[in-house]
Amino acid sequence: MKRVLGLILIFLFVVLAAKSCLKADIPEKCSCIYLQDNNESVEYPAPSKNVTINGIDYIQTQAPIGNFGGELIISTIGEGPKTFNPCNTKDATSSSMAGLMYDGLLSTEPRTGDVIPQLAKSFEINGNEYTIHLRKGIKWSDGKPITADDVMYTYNDIVFKGLGNPSTMDAMMIDGKLPELEKIDDFTVKFIVTKPFAPFLRQLSYPIVPKHYFKPYSDKGTSAFNTFLNPNTKPETIVTNGAFRLKEYVAAQRVVFVKNPNYYKINLQNQKLPYLDKLVYLIVGDTNNEILKFEAKETDILSLKGDNVARYKQKEKFSDYSVYNLGADTGTLFIVINLNNRKDKDGKYYVNPIKQTWFSNRSFRSALDWAIDRKGIVQNIAFGVAEPLFTAESLNSIYLNKSIKGHKMDKQMALMRLKEGGFKLNNGNLYDNKGNRVEFDIYTNAGNLEREAIGVMVKQDLEDLGMKVNFKPVEFNSLVNKLTNTHDWDMAIMGLTGSPLEPHDGKNVWTSSGSLHMFNMRPAGYKIDDRLSWEKELDDIFNEASLKLNYSERKPLYDRYQEIVYNEKPLIYLYSPIRITAIRKKFKNIFPTPLSGLLYNLEEIYIGK
Amino acid sequence: MEFAKYILKRCLQTIPLLIIVSIISFFIIRLAPIDPLAELRLNPSISQETLNKEIKRLNLDKPIYIQYFSWAKSFIKGDLGYTSAGEKVSTKLKERIPNTLLLTVIVIFMTWIVGIPLGIFAAIKKGTVFDRILTVISSIGMAIPSFFFAILMLMFAVKTGWFPVGGLTSYNYNEMSFIGKLIDLSRHLCLPVIVLFTISLSGLQRQMRANMLEVLDSDYIKFARAKGLSEAKVIYKHALRNAINPMITLLGFEFAGLLSGAALTEYVFQYPGLGRLILEAVMKSDINLVMASLMMGTIMLILGNLIADILLMITDPRVRKTSAEVQ
Repeated sequence: MKRVLGLILIFLFVVLAAKSCLKADIPEKCSCIYLQDNNESVEYPAPSKNVTINGIDYIQTQAPIGNFGGELIISTIGEGPKTFNPCNTKDATSSSMAGLMYDGLLSTEPRTGDVIPQLAKSFEINGNEYTIHLRKGIKWSDGKPITADDVMYTYNDIVFKGLGNPSTMDAMMIDGKLPELEKIDDFTVKFIVTKPFAPFLRQLSYPIVPKHYFKPYSDKGTSAFNTFLNPNTKPETIVTNGAFRLKEYVAAQRVVFVKNPNYYKINLQNQKLPYLDKLVYLIVGDTNNEILKFEAKETDILSLKGDNVARYKQKEKFSDYSVYNLGADTGTLFIVINLNNRKDKDGKYYVNPIKQTWFSNRSFRSALDWAIDRKGIVQNIAFGVAEPLFTAESLNSIYLNKSIKGHKMDKQMALMRLKEGGFKLNNGNLYDNKGNRVEFDIYTNAGNLEREAIGVMVKQDLEDLGMKVNFKPVEFNSLVNKLTNTHDWDMAIMGLTGSPLEPHDGKNVWTSSGSLHMFNMRPAGYKIDDRLSWEKELDDIFNEASLKLNYSERKPLYDRYQEIVYNEKPLIYLYSPIRITAIRKKFKNIFPTPLSGLLYNLEEIYIGK
Repeated sequence: MEFAKYILKRCLQTIPLLIIVSIISFFIIRLAPIDPLAELRLNPSISQETLNKEIKRLNLDKPIYIQYFSWAKSFIKGDLGYTSAGEKVSTKLKERIPNTLLLTVIVIFMTWIVGIPLGIFAAIKKGTVFDRILTVISSIGMAIPSFFFAILMLMFAVKTGWFPVGGLTSYNYNEMSFIGKLIDLSRHLCLPVIVLFTISLSGLQRQMRANMLEVLDSDYIKFARAKGLSEAKVIYKHALRNAINPMITLLGFEFAGLLSGAALTEYVFQYPGLGRLILEAVMKSDINLVMASLMMGTIMLILGNLIADILLMITDPRVRKTSAEVQ
């Protein structure tokens, strides 16, 4: 009797457990909903103005007036900041947090991407001279005035000496020479460069740091400077000029910022910004935890990926958040083809010579391009939250060549190209003109589910052409090793992040001597000129465009570079993910832009009543 | 005197052990095809000079045995070196150790306070309904993987909103009153403690029950009963003393698990402890951090065993005698 009762109890328990799992969470209907571009409906405020009140040069934002107070809670994935020293940041989290605390002379207009003054009141370019006028009367968070001495110190003692992260020094170096810096008066400085160099101007967004606070540490040399402002620094001692200052850092838990009372931005009623009292970053380990925290209302903002987008979009109407479509991001996914025709130290070819003839055949590369079903990949792998990509510049780049329209998948076209290239189909298998079966490997980094799924779909598409494709996900580090050192690979599915503002940042990929010139990597210090004709043209374009200062002069050059890449297809671009972000509706003054995202105007954001 | 000699001997024995452990782990980590600089290499805006500087800083340009010796040299001096991000390993560990200790000490304390009496009870009442229910519960506790249980608990927290989703303190912790802080801490600790408690309780309870049953079955207990001793005296004076010995060895292992035992649960709950730090370090092949934590784990294990042995020598005359003979 007892046993029967026990059995019934267990059965009931199992049934109940099963029932609770059955609860429909995601509707079974179409999960790929149409994402409307809700940015169209956003009414952007007029650009900020310079306003002088009592001899102090403020920036006046033209955004609607809001309420003061409240806090915004954001999650950040990873281990949190490594340093608060804006000159020494090497990872995204640290630099975005240091960016809150320190402003640079110039900044970027969030919609157009133009260079606009920030800590500077205005700037003039006269040939090779860049004159910067500083704001008068603005102060560091400890009340000391911000003057030309701080600018002189930041550039002469930190940037030009390569202290901290030397990438700005590298970027400012023109033909191995650093610019000269002259102090005209307490509020004017002048940079003099040796020759026109377009990427130079944007480098002036480098954060300006307080001389009276930094100098004792920078004088002690590199190692002292590298540990200066580490996360365990006492927050109240840090002197800043940004909209927020550090309040508290708790390892692996959170970073709390409070508003800087001396900030130089004001609203239409001449009240000092920012509106928010506090900005909290919760440090979380992975995406799942980030989602849970948002669901539990512990955080206010969440960037959505893949299948989550449909779910959140459907729940949006009944919830307290809005979902914003920020457009394609700067990330690009592509298949890269190894065009390397060199031999290694032992006289062995990096790439099998038979394969070399295929890969160097433009018709072959073009056939691959026609055969790949980008739309299918976007629908199935990115859940429709991506945009097919055909250009080397990302879709939100201000230099995007809009005349490259791309094409649909067309198997007939692909077969035609293969025929042109001398390949033959026999019993559904593809052979080259010497009778070799077309077979090659595609690598990607294992563990990246997105790329692994792309690999499977691409393999399918290419096998439809009669090729034999071995898809090999390998560990990320060994893939990088293959690409940059051993060169023994055929094709790889990879991704890179570009800059939407400055195509010249991609020079390591596109110029023939670049350290990331993956598709035809030359060893360091390689002397022989074996550039392909279009590689040579790319070299010339990158060199020439960097010397031109006007957007209108540079644009045609960079258009040409995208055209070359599109025609030659050393990289076959697949798609760019679209950024979708949910933020609680109570936050106002949200003006998302494809170029700058959602939170670029933190000082203007307020909590509505 | 005997005692001090024994401890000294044991300490000396640990030195070769530590060397072997460090060599094996160092080489396994370094020979794994993980390049700590892979991310930097794929960053288009990083120049070759910057890369070379990083390689120099991390000593990656030297052969592996030289890397090991330079690590060992500074380890002996007490310098744990820097992480690959340039922070001091010792400060990183110091930030996390108190958090992990807080969690594990609570859990161990609770498990032992509850688990030992439950085990004794289950053994005495063997075969009753109480014993059977305990068996079912502890079987569930032993069968359920900790990370899965932790995820279930997290879902529970999200759906009900009764508990915070992971972490150790709320973002406004520092502005709370003392009582508020205490409540906040216990709310955060509640779920991870439940997970770890349930899992380790089951094992401990079963172990205690088995020991106790074995002892209760022995001749001297029968003799004690036959002698007419009261049941309480039989159990608490004769049976329990003999049944507790294996538990002391277990306590030594628990000591070793103080710093590393909760890694998975910590990770799921985003608990700011050592486990999460080390897991992230292993993924990035952050050699100094991983080595420091491995060495710490080894030392804790050896120490735990030593403590258990000493405790055993105190409680059990048989062990005292044999270890003296061995010497």
